[in-house]
Amino acid sequence: MTDAIQTRSLCYRASEHFEVTDLALTVPAGAVYGFLGPNGSGKTTTIRLLLGLLRPRSGEITVLGSPMPAATPSVLARVGYVPERPHIYPSLTVAEAMRFHAAFHRRWDSAWATALAATFQLRSDARVGSLSKGEMGKLMMLLALAQRPELLVLDEPTDGLDPVVRRDMLESVLGYVAEHGATVFISSHLVHELERICDWVGVMDRGRLVAELPMQTFKDGIKRLHVAGAAGDMANAPFVVLKRDRSDAAAEQWIVRGWEPGMQSYIEGAGATVREVVDLDLEDGFVEMLRAARTPTTTEV
Amino acid sequence: MTHSFSLQLLDRIDARSPTPLYAQIASRVRLAIAAGELRGGAGLPSVRQLAAALRINPATVVQAYRSLEADGFVEMRQGAGTFVHELAPARRAAERKAAARRLVRELLTEGGRLGISPQDFAAVLRDELTGDTQ
Repeated sequence: MTDAIQTRSLCYRASEHFEVTDLALTVPAGAVYGFLGPNGSGKTTTIRLLLGLLRPRSGEITVLGSPMPAATPSVLARVGYVPERPHIYPSLTVAEAMRFHAAFHRRWDSAWATALAATFQLRSDARVGSLSKGEMGKLMMLLALAQRPELLVLDEPTDGLDPVVRRDMLESVLGYVAEHGATVFISSHLVHELERICDWVGVMDRGRLVAELPMQTFKDGIKRLHVAGAAGDMANAPFVVLKRDRSDAAAEQWIVRGWEPGMQSYIEGAGATVREVVDLDLEDGFVEMLRAARTPTTTEV
Repeated sequence: MTHSFSLQLLDRIDARSPTPLYAQIASRVRLAIAAGELRGGAGLPSVRQLAAALRINPATVVQAYRSLEADGFVEMRQGAGTFVHELAPARRAAERKAAARRLVRELLTEGGRLGISPQDFAAVLRDELTGDTQ
């Protein structure tokens, strides 16, 4: 098995106003895959489709080698899931919630669960309903990890949590991945956090996957160019012009994707000079890519 | 100087930099070895420890350690960990010189952007070295 998750031509209609369209995701086994996208872009819907919690209208989903939603029970036994909204009975204590969860998972590691509870400073006799938001997040992470999953699916796991809790949670996930080589699929809009830990990125916007590529390729390829002189149309260039700001004709600013060293020659061939090539970080690149996805004709402006 | 690994060594790695994280880690460790801050036989943290401490992908740590190993700076012993190789003094001196060259090139590139000539730099460097600063 080389891919932990694969979808092809996946469509789902949530309402008249929102649908997931023609989704083709590929998450390689062993990857830490960052699933980026603004709020409402379809990240949670996609995750629920992957886990068999929603039925697709059409298309194929394969998770850990099995078709979904047909194989939902056997696949979910191997997947640790931290949902955006926790769903544990509030009247249970932390210890009871752990025992309850353990009953569903054959590979449950109770020694590690106890150790994690200590690391996370969760009191075993505390009622789930009385936990703070951060404690709740840590409990959900504990439950997902102690089942020793092959795939961890984390839906905005650190959203709204303080930095100390975020660190504790990410450290425990990364420690687990280092030891067991599990695949992680993590959705977040905290782009800087993902920039450190992910080696793959998928970008969602309005129900569509607008990009999917290795993190380093994404970061290497997205640049801001300072171009002097009027270049012609770049339709045949090997890079994609996401944005071309011509407000200052003597010094245009371009945002390009798929850039590689030496590609200046295409612009120079069109009669202009590249003054400077500026690197963008993941957040800048992400924002520019989304803007371009929303206004497909920017290059004509 | 402790001669053993300290996380402070990697304090300033920057995920937002265009230089891949693995290359940043490898180059910091390489410099520490060249400077004698890390001595032969010193152990590096396990992949798990370093990934968790820096909150980075474990594969990034493995990639950094592999590149250090390929360049002869460390040895990865199966099950035991990753250890610094003793380097000959000449090799360490060559590494320091290579690092100096990289720094100077960066400086010249940045200076070029700001319109500072190499001659300006040379003059300032002479002043700084002789303590004749204004």
